[in-house]
Amino acid sequence: MTMSGLISKKSLIAAASATVLAFAANPAAAKDIVLGASVQLTGPVANTGRYYRDAYELAVEKINAAGGVKVGNEKRKLVLKIYDNQSDVNLSVRQYTQLVSQDKVDLLLGPFASNFALADSAVSEKYKIPMVQGGGASDQIFARKFKYIFGTLAPASNYFASTIEMMKGLKPAPKSVALLYADDSFDVSVGDGTRPKLKAAGFNIVMDERYSTNATDFNSLLSQIRSKNVDAVLVAGHETEILNFIRQAKSLTVAPKMYSFTVGVPSEDFRKALGKDANYAFGMTAWLPSADLKDRWFGDAAKFEAEYKAKYNYEPDYHAASGTADVEALAQAIENAGSTDPAKVRDALAKVKFDSIYGPIAFAANGQIDLPQTVIQVQGDKLVAIHGTKGAMNPAKYPMPAWNAR
Amino acid sequence: MDLLLQILINGVLLGGLYAVMALGLALVWGVLNIVNLAHGAFIMLGAYLSWHLYTYLGIDPFLGLPITAVVMFAFGYAMQRGLLNLVVKAPMFNTLLITFGLEVVLTYLAQLAFSADFRTINPSYAGNSIQLGMVVLPLARLLAFGIAIILTLAMWLFLLHTRLGRAIRATAQNLVAARLYGVEPRHLYAMTFGIGIGLAGAAGGLYGTVSQINPYIGATLTAKSFAIAIIGGLDNPLGVIVGGLFLGIIESLAVLYIGATFADVASFGVLVLVLIVRPSGLLGKTA
Repeated sequence: MTMSGLISKKSLIAAASATVLAFAANPAAAKDIVLGASVQLTGPVANTGRYYRDAYELAVEKINAAGGVKVGNEKRKLVLKIYDNQSDVNLSVRQYTQLVSQDKVDLLLGPFASNFALADSAVSEKYKIPMVQGGGASDQIFARKFKYIFGTLAPASNYFASTIEMMKGLKPAPKSVALLYADDSFDVSVGDGTRPKLKAAGFNIVMDERYSTNATDFNSLLSQIRSKNVDAVLVAGHETEILNFIRQAKSLTVAPKMYSFTVGVPSEDFRKALGKDANYAFGMTAWLPSADLKDRWFGDAAKFEAEYKAKYNYEPDYHAASGTADVEALAQAIENAGSTDPAKVRDALAKVKFDSIYGPIAFAANGQIDLPQTVIQVQGDKLVAIHGTKGAMNPAKYPMPAWNAR
Repeated sequence: MDLLLQILINGVLLGGLYAVMALGLALVWGVLNIVNLAHGAFIMLGAYLSWHLYTYLGIDPFLGLPITAVVMFAFGYAMQRGLLNLVVKAPMFNTLLITFGLEVVLTYLAQLAFSADFRTINPSYAGNSIQLGMVVLPLARLLAFGIAIILTLAMWLFLLHTRLGRAIRATAQNLVAARLYGVEPRHLYAMTFGIGIGLAGAAGGLYGTVSQINPYIGATLTAKSFAIAIIGGLDNPLGVIVGGLFLGIIESLAVLYIGATFADVASFGVLVLVLIVRPSGLLGKTA
């Protein structure tokens, strides 16, 4: 009697809640909005992966402190659900699948790195849950006509565009160029985008070499650079490779007139590891913490930088700014859509337009943002902006002196 | 011509570094029949140890190598007595599993302890070089190469001419007979493993002066060491030098003539070839 009473009560509750779930337009109504992501917190790229977790957390905290996200007439808080993918692409795909199919998160934030975003965006596309990712710049991610992937890193193919603009104005002008790139999705896109730009600008490409990701020995390539007397070396690779490249350039006394790297230069940790040897290296960033970049939640980018540094005890770079913009883009799109319905948020994202700490956010038809890269250079212990959209900003230290003349 | 000469020298110097990395792995494999998948993780720990000695105590990375080697030796000895000895008689699969597990644990402990930040051991002379005509010899690599040769020769003499060295070889050849002659295998195995890890630690110190350190460098270093040990053969430390040099030169030439993506293809291609043609290694006894 008691037993059957209990059972029937239980099944009643179950039936009732199922009905509520089935009939509610939004199962999470009046509840927190859950944003899911799988990020590299351990493994070989944990060093950059942490920017994304830290940025997501700071942005969510800030938006919630301002009352949360306005959906229709109510304010709802954001909640993060982050998994550590151990720098393993296959694991990250499984985790995104789990996020949407079992954890039932509302919307997705991205992982770091193009090869991850390339694989993970297949999950967001399949389940039709929008993913805003700030870690993958490869043009490949956006070349598949996917509707649910949005990216806040500028296209990889344009990374060296501003550098090439700057190179045209250098005196004495560099003539011969070596283009080296790692064999992964992002760096191949950089290489493919840079090659025609170099040719159009009249530079002579004397070396065009693809190398294995995680290569540690660059002595052979460096010896060729010296033997061909290359003026400018452009490298698209990963921080570990670029660290090795610069250290080995020094030990083989290879000093071209200039060298520039897609990653590393903006990161404090990278410059620290190299110490004085980082000097003269060029790089690029789509973001500098300027007070001119106004933001609804943080005030401006300079304030964001200060808050980020106070909370995490290291400097944010463009990865962190891009990750922050991803959370803001989702928040803004939810408000514009007046709903957390994935399809509605997706349509709102496609039309979104607002100013953020990262810059003006708006997505092209393929889902990718377009931001110009500012050329930066390590000068002494400072990072100096050299060349932006409006031309020269500060004088470049060029040509780079020989290693024994520093 | 100058380029080819430079590339060959790069290859030789790289090979010296490879040889020190593989020396410990080959020793442990040859004597204990354990393929130590955590070998690269021990190299990584040695690199961090050298980095700490240099950064916080100002001890020169090359002069600090004996300290690193001794500390790592003690660590290796304890690891063998406490953990690996449990599986030394077990099938190969078990030892692979336990050393794989050890690799994962050491790597992630290193991330917890040292963070994923990149480190370099960068004394003022690390980037110096010696110019000989048109050829450049990077100083740190030259030192690493010299140390590799010294360690290998020392290892060779030790195995041939000391009581302990002979006991180690005897155990590798015939455990029962060695025991009859009074060899205590538990201590001996731990000594061997300790020496192997001490060598890995020294290799780590050298690696940190020419490359960068982070908790995840281990796996690739294990793979490289494994290839060198197979190419060189396990019977003789001199084989490891030959294997290292061979691999270093092949990789450098592959980058020059075929393309930089083919360095790994070339080195593992050579590995396969050696396995087919000379399964006990270039200097190994032919079966």
